[in-house]
Amino acid sequence: MSENNNKIDELIDKLSSIENEETDTKAGKIVENCEVIDKESSQNKEKIFQKYKIKDVVFLAIISAIMLLTGAFMPLVSNIPIFGIIELCLGVQFSLFPAIGMMKVRKPGALLFMSFFSGIVLIFMNTIMCFCLLLCALICEALTLLIFRGYKSDWASFFAATLYMPLTLPFLYLWYKFFYSFTGEEGEAVSAFIGSDVGTAIGMSVAVIAVCALGAFIGIIVTRELKKAGVIKK
Amino acid sequence: MRNFLTYKYNNLYPLLAILTGLTIVIFGLVYAQHYECTYFLVAVYLLSFLFINYKTCLKGLIFLAIFGSFFFLFTYLSSSSIDQSVFMVNRIASFTVGMLPGMSVGAERLTRNLSQIRMPRGMVIGLLIVFSFMPTLTEEIKRIKEAMKTRGSYNILNPKVLYRAFLIPFITRIVDISDTLSLSIETRGFDLKSKNYTIYRKEYLTIYDVLFLLAIIAIIVLVTVL
Repeated sequence: MSENNNKIDELIDKLSSIENEETDTKAGKIVENCEVIDKESSQNKEKIFQKYKIKDVVFLAIISAIMLLTGAFMPLVSNIPIFGIIELCLGVQFSLFPAIGMMKVRKPGALLFMSFFSGIVLIFMNTIMCFCLLLCALICEALTLLIFRGYKSDWASFFAATLYMPLTLPFLYLWYKFFYSFTGEEGEAVSAFIGSDVGTAIGMSVAVIAVCALGAFIGIIVTRELKKAGVIKK
Repeated sequence: MRNFLTYKYNNLYPLLAILTGLTIVIFGLVYAQHYECTYFLVAVYLLSFLFINYKTCLKGLIFLAIFGSFFFLFTYLSSSSIDQSVFMVNRIASFTVGMLPGMSVGAERLTRNLSQIRMPRGMVIGLLIVFSFMPTLTEEIKRIKEAMKTRGSYNILNPKVLYRAFLIPFITRIVDISDTLSLSIETRGFDLKSKNYTIYRKEYLTIYDVLFLLAIIAIIVLVTVL
């Protein structure tokens, strides 16, 4: 009985080994094919600067439209004389959606594209903010490329999205100082922008960074979940 | 030359409309702390009736009346100064009057104009989408909110509901729309590779555009000098 069992086991082993060999050879072919495909794709992936496709532009434009729609109250908020009130109100939207945009389109210039698309409309809603956002996007892109060498890592998107909005704070200060120098009211404009209390300015700056980090974090979580679900391709 | 002399009501040259709008906004913001700014904005608003559709101008007035009075009251209650309240209304009015020339230009005309000056195709397509996508987005948001209601989640301010029932379906839908739209754009002959393309109807700068710009510059000079 035991001999029969052993024979059967041997047969099964043989059969399974034959199958394994076949599958191994097939797998080998698949692996070989994969290597060929990988070579092509890896060549593209290795490049830091990649060409934009129409689908990338369309997605970034739509994300910019969402940013604009959710930030439509900007001209009203911009008139409230509290330091960093615009950044605090728009922090979540202007970090969450750029994070999603950069996570899907992992190419340098994605943030700049989004800033440009939203900036054209923002130019009428808040002219100052439009130029500031473009400049900040440029700086964020440069810093991200220097530190992370592209957007392959999720942290690169997180970093750029978090830094994007808070960077406008120092630039708005410079803008007010320069712009109102024509009418000689730069002192008043800057003090109106910063406010009388320095503590409030520091507190608001910290709050803006925290809000933007939260927005960027949510953006990354959303994108990761959509990638797992297969909505966004890996 | 014939194109230069033709006059079409409410047909400002798109790029010039944007530029004049920008000039009005910047000048208005810089001089918002002066009463001269109010005169400037009133003059530009009245001038706009000659060159821009009166319906657009009236829409702007309604917007200004609502938000201007709100901010006037808000500033007056916080500072008890009529001057500061007027200056606040000046800021709101600068945005409103500055938007009028831009509002009179359709997205397709601006796109055509930008293509005419050989702006990169990707940017032109992106701008067209940004300008024309707002109604689609608001509709999508409405649909998702309706879907939320059917599931019994009414409170959008609840973070869990906002994330699971609103944000995830919304982004999923956006990705779907983006894929469909990019395919649709490509099949209609818009791509980033081809450099030569035909514009069937070009935008021309007319004498009335120049007059509009000159009139605004004249008002700026008058307000600054006087």
